[in-house]
Amino acid sequence: MREIILPGSLDELWRCFEGKPQAAVYAGGTDLLVGLYNGLLNPEALICLDRIEELQGVGERGESIRIGSCTTHAQLLDDPLIKSHLPVLWQAIRGIGSPLVRNMGTIGGNICTASPAGDTLPPLYTLKAEVELRSKEESRRMAIEDFIAGPGATRLQPAEILTGVWVQKPGEYNLHHFEKVGLRNALACSVVSMAALLRLALNGVVEKATLAWGSAGPTIVTCPEAEKKLIGEPLSMALLQEAAALVRKAVCPISDVRADADYRRIVAGNLLLRLGNVLK
Amino acid sequence: MRISFYLNGKETHVDVPPGRKFVDVLREDLGLTGTKECCGAGECGACTILVDGQARLSCLMAAAQLQGRRVTTIEGLAADGSLHPVQEAFIEYGAVQCGFCTPGVVLAAVHLLDRNPDPTREQIREGLSGNLCRCSGYVKIVDAVEAAARKMQGGTPQ
Amino acid sequence: MSMKMLEVGCPMPGFDARAKVTGEEKYAADQSREDTLWAGAKRAGIAHGIIRGIDTSAARALPGVYAILTRKDITGTNRQGIVHKDQPVLAGGKVRHCGDPVALVLAEDRDILKNALSLIRVDFEPLPGVFDPEKALAPEAPRVHETRNLLQKAVISTGNAMESFNECDIVVEDSFVASGQEHAFLETENGLAWREPDGKIVMIVSTQAPFRDRFEIAHALGLEVDAIRVISPYLRGGFGGKDGSTVQCLLALAALHAGGRPVKMWWEREESFIAGYKRHPVKMQYRLGAMRDGTLHALQCSLFYDTGPYAHLGVEVMALGMEHAGGPYRIPNTFIEGWCVYTNNPISGAMRGFGVCQVAFGIERMMDLLASKLGISRLDIRLKNALLRGDRNCAGVVLVHSTGIVPCLETLGRHNLWMESSKWKGAAGPFKRRGVGIAAVFNAMGYGRGIPDSAIAKVELTREGKIRVYSGVPDMGQGNASAFVQFAGEILCQNASRMELILPDTNRTHPSGSSSAGRTTYTYGNALILACKELKEKLLHRTALMLMLDEARGLTLLPGKVKHLPSGREVPLDLIGRTFPETDRIVVNQFVMPVAQDNVNTGKEFKIGFPHVLFSYAAHLAYVEVDELTGKIDVKGYLAVTEGGRIINPLGFEQQVHGAVAQGIGYGLMEEVLLDEGRILNPNFTNYILPTSLDIPEIATVSVEMVESTGPFGMKGIGEVGTNGPLPAIAGAVEDAVGRRLNRSPLTAESILCAM
Repeated sequence: MREIILPGSLDELWRCFEGKPQAAVYAGGTDLLVGLYNGLLNPEALICLDRIEELQGVGERGESIRIGSCTTHAQLLDDPLIKSHLPVLWQAIRGIGSPLVRNMGTIGGNICTASPAGDTLPPLYTLKAEVELRSKEESRRMAIEDFIAGPGATRLQPAEILTGVWVQKPGEYNLHHFEKVGLRNALACSVVSMAALLRLALNGVVEKATLAWGSAGPTIVTCPEAEKKLIGEPLSMALLQEAAALVRKAVCPISDVRADADYRRIVAGNLLLRLGNVLK
Repeated sequence: MRISFYLNGKETHVDVPPGRKFVDVLREDLGLTGTKECCGAGECGACTILVDGQARLSCLMAAAQLQGRRVTTIEGLAADGSLHPVQEAFIEYGAVQCGFCTPGVVLAAVHLLDRNPDPTREQIREGLSGNLCRCSGYVKIVDAVEAAARKMQGGTPQ
Repeated sequence: MSMKMLEVGCPMPGFDARAKVTGEEKYAADQSREDTLWAGAKRAGIAHGIIRGIDTSAARALPGVYAILTRKDITGTNRQGIVHKDQPVLAGGKVRHCGDPVALVLAEDRDILKNALSLIRVDFEPLPGVFDPEKALAPEAPRVHETRNLLQKAVISTGNAMESFNECDIVVEDSFVASGQEHAFLETENGLAWREPDGKIVMIVSTQAPFRDRFEIAHALGLEVDAIRVISPYLRGGFGGKDGSTVQCLLALAALHAGGRPVKMWWEREESFIAGYKRHPVKMQYRLGAMRDGTLHALQCSLFYDTGPYAHLGVEVMALGMEHAGGPYRIPNTFIEGWCVYTNNPISGAMRGFGVCQVAFGIERMMDLLASKLGISRLDIRLKNALLRGDRNCAGVVLVHSTGIVPCLETLGRHNLWMESSKWKGAAGPFKRRGVGIAAVFNAMGYGRGIPDSAIAKVELTREGKIRVYSGVPDMGQGNASAFVQFAGEILCQNASRMELILPDTNRTHPSGSSSAGRTTYTYGNALILACKELKEKLLHRTALMLMLDEARGLTLLPGKVKHLPSGREVPLDLIGRTFPETDRIVVNQFVMPVAQDNVNTGKEFKIGFPHVLFSYAAHLAYVEVDELTGKIDVKGYLAVTEGGRIINPLGFEQQVHGAVAQGIGYGLMEEVLLDEGRILNPNFTNYILPTSLDIPEIATVSVEMVESTGPFGMKGIGEVGTNGPLPAIAGAVEDAVGRRLNRSPLTAESILCAM
């Protein structure tokens, strides 16, 4: 019989790991339990983190915001800190799955599943997020782009969990934008997505730009060339077109049941053009 | 493993493998077949139940996770035999066709109205976007939830 | 239960709605009995191959495996099918699609069953497969069966099509590909069966045709028809996919070998995709000729229906499609050719819109093409050619019954949504382009010629004084059960609290055909009306005797009683119920749907299913917005104007229209069974994309009410016609928005972006 343990605290969790370092860890279960109940995974034991209160909640520490890894997407949508300070993340979470999935799924789960289509990831990359990892012995932080090693792979060690995500409040940006393209308007796995943080001066010159794309490569794709192209110039459709061309060179999407690589490549560039809305 | 939780207001105990899919516990171990299963992947919402008042997918919960929780299934919605306003509205507005999605949609709607007692039609659509219906095209479901919201706020039906 | 009277024409909540909304209603998969075994099929997993051997030893050794059956355990023909008996219950020699069953396992629970199925090894010699209907017709193509791959070739022609193209001022040509579609009913195929001590098989199953199922099971397994009882509870969705044996033959086979224990079979979603039936993919080539003023003159089309490896209802689907290939228009010269072809793709069968959904795409897009070449509005060209009662349609049948396509189009033309469409289009936001499209569609009702479209209704005054209707035809959510209660209540003047309904059960109710073809409320309803009128007369006459009246005059039925108006005396119905024996309280009556009387002298290849004479009509309008950056198409608004005779229950009418339009939008925009050499790449709800509540817009529903004099209270069935409109209307709207014609369904963002 497969064991399922629900520790009530981190101390209890470390005790669970003793003797079961290969136990599969989950919080909401919206990815892991699908695999489990369809016979694709067969771990000897499961550890569910949803009772550990210290893994939940959003807190402010000066210019930083810490998000507990087991905070559900629904909780994040309701959280005033997320809404006011991290609109690019808030917009992305809004489109994850469905209300039912959002009531259960967590930001930690979205990060650790590390799907190139994970909708929290492009925003977290633009926010220069750091993940907080803990084991019984150690606590460490790592940039999110270092944490995610490949599609479905992270640098999590055995008996270690993701406890939180740290971001700096992106106060210096004044344009926070996320768009995801799916095959329908809910319950859609992103076909391609883009997060963008821009600072536009009053005269329309782009002073800062940070961009990231999802479902456009094995992990989240950034394009420093496109950012450089934009910075220092007045925002215009022509400028965005030039940057978009650079994006299309930078992404390396695959073809799968949802879309062809060519479509993803073209649209990854096109999503940048949407920023032209601010001109209209 | 013995798991204890509150089911439709009553303290309930089941002895099941801790990893047993909770929708199976409801349907097979507890004989409550109102909750349905249909896709096995959290993509249809037919298995929706309320856990501590929140709409969740019972096909993606292991039995052990329900320890100590308050669970409401469709069977528990009608208090003392009188229907919940959402249920009444579903009947009156023709929101029930084959009826398979109905338990899940009703509970999702109850949770939606709990959070947002006066939703727009678009907000209703968004709130129910995790519940697939193959029969209705959703129009009458939205009509029914809108009407239920009005009634629950004490308004007159239009 | 409501004390409101049951009156035809009034909105009425479903008779079954309360039980469904509380979760009390038990459908087939909710049924359980003590000591039940679980049965499951080992599926081929390859599209075409010869079975060299089946190794069940590892599976048999598993504790909890009760039995494993293969072809050799079947006495009987081992062939199921509705018309053509060409589908094995268990494949013996070869498999012809990935879902072909090769072994049947009975186990103590579902986990053991799954485990056992995974342990069965089948040794195949793979054969090259054929996956395209045109390629399958080549003489060198791999053969799916012993005979060539052409199941049926047919021609429907009127006038002198080939010559008459020379008389046309304009001729347009184009080709289209309409995809398959998955029913995706939320309740998958399932049933529970057991063998009684007397040897009879009893089955509770989610089925659209309980009476016919017995014949399929009997023929396949070598049983007597009357040794099989089939009970059909409310289905949770059918849409055609539960017409014809799905689990039934396998389940009966399992029950025969279960030592008297009940057996349950319930296909999980993936199995439902792989083994279940689908809408036919169709390739179409169209040529349409007209005069300068837009009058249609000649039509030629070639239609290739991919029916998969087994006929199911493929020939009948093609027949109906060909019959509708010219749209609801007057076209004096037609030459419509169809090929129904075997392939090694999944099995195509019946689905709502039954062959018509696909050709509606073809003809409606041709009409748009013609309109644009002639500079005539899309609405005007349809109005100009739309059929009127008394016209001859494209199959050569004179329309002697209600024919409302013209008022549908006229109503559309006067609707706000049509009149404000330019304004709406002009208000498109940045990177968005808007367009509108229309479609004129129709759909025949009933079986057509060749077999009787019949029903036998039974109604009873119970001992307790209730009116009990014995429905012979399943309700899969279309609400026919409620309609039957409404009819009986109307005629016998009773409210819902006095009504009882028995759902189809081959022991208790009477054969009434399948729940399909938009026929159930019409045909069973007509039989029920006859039966109820007879029951009414009988009750009044018996009451006269009870009241010692020397003539049966001045008597009337009222809720719960019969009243003698001149004297004011009343007799409660339950007293009548206790006074007379059961045999005197029951009425059974039959009805057969009228058939076309024309000798059309074409389509002679179709022994059944052609032609039809009763049709419902609709005109649809789609508001569509296309995103220039992503190609994504959103339907922002929709109007369906439908003519289905008189409306029995406005709620029910709207439910059917909304549901049909939603399935049509799914078909048009996002649903596609993706195949790679016969293997389904998306056999799940994650990657088979069904529309959510955020994908279907508000649907404005308008009815054009006419009287269909042969219909019960003047109605016709409208369950299917709504599915045929969305794909062509949306395609027309996309063309209006971006100036590109998309000729392949579904209309995906990718295909638009490539086209733009």
